[in-house]
Amino acid sequence: MSALTFTLKTAPQQRVDLSALTPDALADKSLADIAAIELPSGHDKPRVDTLFDISGDDASDIVIKNATDRLDYIGHGMRSGRITVHGNVGSYLAFKLRKGEIVLHGNAGDFAASGMAGGLLHVHGNVGDFLASAIIGERRGMKGGTVIITGNAGERAGDQMRRGLVLIEGNVGSYCASRMIAGTIGVMGTTGEYLAYGMRRGTVLLNNAPKLHATIQDCGSHTLPFLSLMFKSFRDLPTKFAAVNRNRVQRYAGDIANDGKGEILVFK
Amino acid sequence: MLIKLTGGTVYDPAHQIDGKVMDIYVRDGRIVERPRDGEPVSQEYDLRGKVVMAGAIDMHTHIGGGKVNIARTMLPEDHRIDPTVHTEFCRSGCGHAAPSTLTTGYRYAEMGYTAGFEPALLPVNARQSHLEMCDTPIIDKGGYAMIGSDDFFLRMLAAKQDQNAINDYVAWIMHASQAIGIKVVNPGGISAFKFNQRALDLDEQHAHYQISPREVLKALSRAVHELGVPHPLHVHGNNLGVPGNVETTLKTMGAVEGFPVHLTHIQFHSYGTEGDRKFSSGAAAIAEALNKHKNVSADVGQILFGQTVTASGDNMRQFANASHASPKKSVIMDIECDAGCGVVPFKYKDQNFVNALQWAIGLEIFLLTEDPWRIFLTTDHPNGAPFTSYPHLIKLLMDKSFRNDMFTKLNLDAQAMSTLNSIEREYSLYEIAIMTRAGAARLVGLHDRGHLGVGAGADITVYTDNPDREAMFAKPDYVFKDGELVVRNGEVVKVTWGSTHTVKPEFDRAGIEKDLKKYFDTYHTMNMEHFKVSADEISEGGHSRVIVQECKGRREKTA
Repeated sequence: MSALTFTLKTAPQQRVDLSALTPDALADKSLADIAAIELPSGHDKPRVDTLFDISGDDASDIVIKNATDRLDYIGHGMRSGRITVHGNVGSYLAFKLRKGEIVLHGNAGDFAASGMAGGLLHVHGNVGDFLASAIIGERRGMKGGTVIITGNAGERAGDQMRRGLVLIEGNVGSYCASRMIAGTIGVMGTTGEYLAYGMRRGTVLLNNAPKLHATIQDCGSHTLPFLSLMFKSFRDLPTKFAAVNRNRVQRYAGDIANDGKGEILVFK
Repeated sequence: MLIKLTGGTVYDPAHQIDGKVMDIYVRDGRIVERPRDGEPVSQEYDLRGKVVMAGAIDMHTHIGGGKVNIARTMLPEDHRIDPTVHTEFCRSGCGHAAPSTLTTGYRYAEMGYTAGFEPALLPVNARQSHLEMCDTPIIDKGGYAMIGSDDFFLRMLAAKQDQNAINDYVAWIMHASQAIGIKVVNPGGISAFKFNQRALDLDEQHAHYQISPREVLKALSRAVHELGVPHPLHVHGNNLGVPGNVETTLKTMGAVEGFPVHLTHIQFHSYGTEGDRKFSSGAAAIAEALNKHKNVSADVGQILFGQTVTASGDNMRQFANASHASPKKSVIMDIECDAGCGVVPFKYKDQNFVNALQWAIGLEIFLLTEDPWRIFLTTDHPNGAPFTSYPHLIKLLMDKSFRNDMFTKLNLDAQAMSTLNSIEREYSLYEIAIMTRAGAARLVGLHDRGHLGVGAGADITVYTDNPDREAMFAKPDYVFKDGELVVRNGEVVKVTWGSTHTVKPEFDRAGIEKDLKKYFDTYHTMNMEHFKVSADEISEGGHSRVIVQECKGRREKTA
């Protein structure tokens, strides 16, 4: 058994919805069936084999090669298996991911890990805006699972996030953790303006002192033993956070304008 | 061009035809008796063994107007879960509970419906509502103008103005908003909400105008009758959804003092306060009263389980319900100081005691009401369920064992509070045809629809008889709209644009416009002349034309 591999022939003109290509959706399908699947793309529905060269046979281990930023919805609603992508991808990567693992070697567009409820998303690169956020009209962002970003994330990372763990090794843009309901976001690099704007509950872990807006309250320096336990739980994750073990932090509470039960912990 | 429909089994209750095998001829969109001498049949459809009925009519469905757009805007998730791709004939669309206009028209036609009536056409928003309905393909449309909480009317009532003046105002509104009926929502209550009243019972005084809902109902039901409007006053009563409101509903039937009245989505108004949870079925009392009061008709507003959205002019009750919203969001708003609007998404669950009992209450009302000419099949789309669930509802009515199977899956406490599974009645095809065709057409006042007699518009639906009534009614073999084949095997094969039905009662325009002009100049946001929607505006896009249904003219003054 070798990984089921989709190699993009040429970069498509229109955006392509790859929702149909998940391990569970392809589980009992023959190569001919897979080749005949129609993928929504603008006004057209091109067949999979017009866009990709297909090889391999193990649908539980999908590899997408030569990906471009026009490929949306990779791993949509996936419940099992693994998808590995080489190249950049479009929006909605790991949209509503429930279980399984998605690894991207490249950059992702907006709304990565949006609505994700479980599993692991590992991006070796940067992601766009609205990482782990609620899409327009939804009242909840990411609801569970783990997201690791080795590069930077755009604005609004963790907007209305409800549960789960987001670890960003690079920098994030403005409005990180805005309207966050619960969950944990760790950022190794720098943060932009209006961090935790409208944050309700949840935790933001920071390496560098952030620029804080008026309704975030300084609560002083603390030694928090639970941090040791939390970092212990990170030990097996493939991220730089696995090596961290500190529990002395400056604690800020906020957003006072919206319940104010969220906390921003900055390492000292 | 002559079309012959050969050998179908016809159900046409308007002419007492109950399952008779006969041929139907259609020429130029109308049903004719027989071909002229020597006239060739240009198309023939072999309908032997098929069930033939007139096109179905939904007499209460929220398909146009501001609140539907608010529902669409507020629920992008409703659109995402239900996309429809374009076909050779249809354009793409989306939406389950609040579908886009195009999708609404296609889906109605695909179920064999050829007309739908928007029950909350707010006169100040009438233009937008009509234009939106013009964009709803295939089916015929129409609207009931919503008054009864508007400032001008309440001032008239408070000033104890003469009934003739009220009649003139009602008629003026019907002309100005191109309506076919008059609806009142929570009589006086929408206005009372804005004066900080959070409930208004039938005989309670409005804090500002010092009038009661009873007076509103009396004045309007009489006005509609005296103007000769075929559709009786369409009433969404006070206290919607409140346990114990069955008393209010029974009193409302008496409040109109014998004038014809239609009580809409009566299921939401049939709740008692018995039992441990102080919530029980008032269906038996309601059905008994319906059987007794021949001047009263009702549609049920059945709920079916699943995600939907409630959209109503009743801001008072929607405000109270907003805490039950699922997903958690809602819009409660005023409209031009003349009406209100409340949009609350809702998920009905079969394991929820209240929802399960609501489901049973609706079916009890259907089954205990004896006269199918005065009870109508609706889910108050989208408030109880989307209209696409009608085939399922028809199966519940026609198949007792299916109904009882569904009943046993409900919340156990709710089962204990309902008598539903002891009711033996099953609706017949003839009775379904009355409820959804002949009766609905008569109620709304569509003289040439809902029947298959000579001269009727050729809106015809053909089904394959199937003991699974849900499958049968979900996918008609053929649907003809004005003599054109629009649906084959449950799929749209031609897109036409229906008509807009209205009535135009006679009245004293000069007299009422003297007062109205002054009122508009002093208070309104727009000029009186701009308030009026003309028939040309409806027809100029080429998507609709106005049909004026007969209005028998002023009746004898009752006072």
